[in-house]
Amino acid sequence: MTQATAVAEAPANDLALTPELADAVVGTWAEDTETAYFIAPDRILDVLAHLRDAQGYDLLSNLTCIDYQGYGGKLRADVSERLDVVYHLYSTRRGGGSVALHVRVPADDTVPSATSVYPGANLQEREVYDLFGVKFDGHPNLRRILLWDGFNGHPMRKDWHEAYYEEDAKPFRSRHPKGEYAFHEDKLPWAKNTTYPAGWDPDSWQEAVAYVPVSQAPQHENQPHLDTESIVVNLGPHHPSTHGVFRMLTRVEGETILALEPEMGYLHRNHEKIGERNTWLMNMPFTDRLDYLNSMSNNWAYALAVEKLAGIEVPERAEYLRVIMAEFTRIVNHTWSIGFILNDLGALQTPALYAIEEREMILDMFEAVSGARMMCNYMRFGGVVRDLPEGWREQAAYLANDRLPRALDELDRLLTENEILKARGRGVGYLAVEDLIALSVTGPMIRAGGLAYDIRKAEPYGIYDRFDFDIPTLPNSDIYDRYYIRLLEAMESVRILQQALRDMPEGETLGGRGGYTLRAPEGEVYGRLEAPKGELGFYLASDGKTQPWRYHVRSPSYINLNALGPMSVGYKVADAIVILGAIDIVLGEVDR
Amino acid sequence: MQLPLGIEVPIPTFEQFVFIQVALLTAVAGLAVVISRNLFHSALALTLTFFGVAGVYVFLEAEFLAVSQVLVYVGAIAMLIAFAIMLTRSMMYGRTSPLNNQWGKSSLFAFLFFIGLLAFARATPWPAAGEEVVADEALIGALGREFVTTYVIAFEVLGLLLLLALVGAVMLARDR
Amino acid sequence: MDWLQLLVFPAIRALILIFVLLTGFAYLTWYERKLLARFQVRYGPNRAGKFGLLQPAADAVKAFFKEEIIPNHVDKPVYLLAPALALVPALIIWAVIPIAKGTPAIADVNIGFLWILAVAGIESYGIILAGWSSNNNYSLLGALRSSAQMVSYELPLGLFLVSILMLAGSFSLVDLVEGSRQWWEWIWLWLAFPFFFICILAETNRSPFDLPETENELVAGFQTEYGGMKFALFFIAEYVNMISTSAIMATLFFGGWKGPFAEQYIWLGPVYLLIKVLILLFLFIWVRASIGRPRYDQLMKFCWQFMLPLGLVYVSISAVLAVFLK
Repeated sequence: MTQATAVAEAPANDLALTPELADAVVGTWAEDTETAYFIAPDRILDVLAHLRDAQGYDLLSNLTCIDYQGYGGKLRADVSERLDVVYHLYSTRRGGGSVALHVRVPADDTVPSATSVYPGANLQEREVYDLFGVKFDGHPNLRRILLWDGFNGHPMRKDWHEAYYEEDAKPFRSRHPKGEYAFHEDKLPWAKNTTYPAGWDPDSWQEAVAYVPVSQAPQHENQPHLDTESIVVNLGPHHPSTHGVFRMLTRVEGETILALEPEMGYLHRNHEKIGERNTWLMNMPFTDRLDYLNSMSNNWAYALAVEKLAGIEVPERAEYLRVIMAEFTRIVNHTWSIGFILNDLGALQTPALYAIEEREMILDMFEAVSGARMMCNYMRFGGVVRDLPEGWREQAAYLANDRLPRALDELDRLLTENEILKARGRGVGYLAVEDLIALSVTGPMIRAGGLAYDIRKAEPYGIYDRFDFDIPTLPNSDIYDRYYIRLLEAMESVRILQQALRDMPEGETLGGRGGYTLRAPEGEVYGRLEAPKGELGFYLASDGKTQPWRYHVRSPSYINLNALGPMSVGYKVADAIVILGAIDIVLGEVDR
Repeated sequence: MQLPLGIEVPIPTFEQFVFIQVALLTAVAGLAVVISRNLFHSALALTLTFFGVAGVYVFLEAEFLAVSQVLVYVGAIAMLIAFAIMLTRSMMYGRTSPLNNQWGKSSLFAFLFFIGLLAFARATPWPAAGEEVVADEALIGALGREFVTTYVIAFEVLGLLLLLALVGAVMLARDR
Repeated sequence: MDWLQLLVFPAIRALILIFVLLTGFAYLTWYERKLLARFQVRYGPNRAGKFGLLQPAADAVKAFFKEEIIPNHVDKPVYLLAPALALVPALIIWAVIPIAKGTPAIADVNIGFLWILAVAGIESYGIILAGWSSNNNYSLLGALRSSAQMVSYELPLGLFLVSILMLAGSFSLVDLVEGSRQWWEWIWLWLAFPFFFICILAETNRSPFDLPETENELVAGFQTEYGGMKFALFFIAEYVNMISTSAIMATLFFGGWKGPFAEQYIWLGPVYLLIKVLILLFLFIWVRASIGRPRYDQLMKFCWQFMLPLGLVYVSISAVLAVFLK
């Protein structure tokens, strides 16, 4: 990538906007491989609507923000409008690359909410509001999402200082109702040097529960003469069904859900802030902890983005190894999620344990190459960290050609025709595939709705264009299909594995030095791949130093949760649990 | 048994001993139904009363009736009452006064009802103890024969009513 | 003599029965865990003693030494009464089950069938009291589900029992086992067995009808607020219930204590009964390991739209058979 300079004034013509919208584009990066267009804040909705309707960019994949205060690079000398809200749009029908839009605003300013054009902007805008303080005008439910209301400041801003490490204050005081306790702050020299948001009192604070939009409640069509009362039922955060510390606030009438609101952030550790302090390579093991079931895919997605930014080539053998590891990971994830969908249906872990048996075999393979079963940390910029040990390829070939096909067939025979699975799954959690895409849902869920959108085919990365495999689709977009699509995808992964293990050449596995002293050139990049749970993207910005200027994870688990509420409305509480299970989330990735 | 002050108390036989317990239980539970301030506790006390009545039936060597009492009253009716209370939240944990503005009238009627019952009890020709009673299967058989001979109309109408109730339940359960 | 006859002898018999049943419960947990593990490609308990045989003892010790926690917001007397009340019906239902030739467990009463129905009717009280007194939404929902489910499934259960009763012609279970049946009677009975078994699954709140305690929705249902020994009592109640209902099914459908030479050697009776109970318990566990859970409305609909009409048809045909063939 060439050296980028200041903003060029000329509007870009290849965005192909209508003449009325041409003045909406106020600039673009002058020289950049990843072209981004700067849009005037008041015109962003028109541009988005135009791109969606006239040009087919129907998927708002990524929405995030970047703070340029104190930016050291040449790209942005002037930081008077220090915050950029960044949009990445893709077309699911056409495939291909993205359109990146920036909206520049001063701190604490408002941007029109994209939720009216893309409902999927919901959770992402709330995250930007929470972490950067950008307000979105017209957002239906603009509350903090990952942090609690008593948190002072917006931690992803560059001028926010971390308690005790950068600042002598804590963001909030320990809370304990009564009894024997010792406050953390009493033991520390900074004592109760605590700050709260203005006009906010920790003692009178009560979490609002009434915000579940009751207006969504259907009028009682069946029994107009009955006066019934809806109640708020709280599932989680400590509840066996939520797969971790996740909370669903439901408004129910009887057992029918009128509205559902996901609440998260209990596992939030501000992965992105920590990522900005790490050097480029230090983030590699850190990505393992996102979706801890699929560390190989996470590694690859991050490596992909950095390689795109720094222009690093990957040797042939390493590309094959990456494909092999990623497809093994996909099988691990899909067998696991099938097992736990069935577990949510009350099948007492028998299917889960059948599925986990194969997972154990694959984890042994991971351990043999990387030294760890789950936190693999296997990829490097420009390849993988080490070559295969003796006998690995034979064992992998045995798994891919013999054992895994048999195991997947067994699961198929065991489960697919099961009457109770059909009774519970057919027609439950239905949402039309167009709605799913509008909600930015990616991965197996849209393929279970009949749309063959898979980044491996739509915008091939690595060497996926060399393999012969299909994108399975199913028509019904219900829980049953979401279960079955995962089984079919795992079978396709086995096909890819067979080909990759057959064709893999000998050679070096790491070009260059693996980026131990990487200084990525100035610029920004969005790299994505088809992770087992959906589109996993890394949005990175560099000012040419040893650490990323901005490190954002577009996590599929988090954004797929957009669809949880709309999918659950009208079904029973028992269904909502399986609907959540069929979205397949990992809280490490949701909360980051 | 000789108590101080020269009062003679007869040693109860085993049956009397148990009967006293059952009778006390029934009476105390019945009282608890009325005076409990918590509706759910009242319902539970009512269940206990039903049990006590079943116990009395056992003493009358009417096991069939006793078990039917448990089956119908304890197993179904009291359950239904408990169910209804649990479904109405405000009644469930609230503490209500056992008295409302109709306590005067209702106590009058209760008293009159008690007088009526007393009159009935005195008018009935009770069989003397030790007299042979028809028991066991013969009794159930006789009961069954009565149903299909003397009371056949009532029995059939009742059966029809129950069938209708069943059909209604199935209709309620079907998909709308 | 009066007191001895009426109180002491039955009390001794009852104590022996309770001892046997509680030991049976302890080893039923072991049996279930071992079997489930085998169904799920695992080993199951294998550390405490040979084959994990001391595991039940270890569990019991653990339950006893757990801290007794009574939450502040519960209705204390009812809260404490509930676990005991849950266990009682599971034990007293044994009173009428014949365990050997001419020997019922406690008493040969002429109302054996009704006894079963009546005890089944009061079974859900423990659960209802627990759910109500816990003062917790999940507990309450669990209790409501449980009572609705039990009351509903008692109807088809009662209809099947009445059919068997009509064919047997006696209220006593002792007579039922010792009386003879014709071949077509056995076949007609066994036709009903799968449906009877489904009702029993619902009555005992066993998987796949364990809706009152569905982990994924209601945390632990009615027993959410219970811990330590009080929780263990609910647990015991569920498992003793399994044993009791298995014994009832063995008695009604498979000849109870009957088997080769059981008439001559009276001690063979309990052995045969035990074997039949173990096979039926295997069925319970097999179902648990392999079938998912229907949704609550599906469960109720299944009862009212399928089981109940089926039961009515079965009763009608049984009545015709009883009148014209016996």
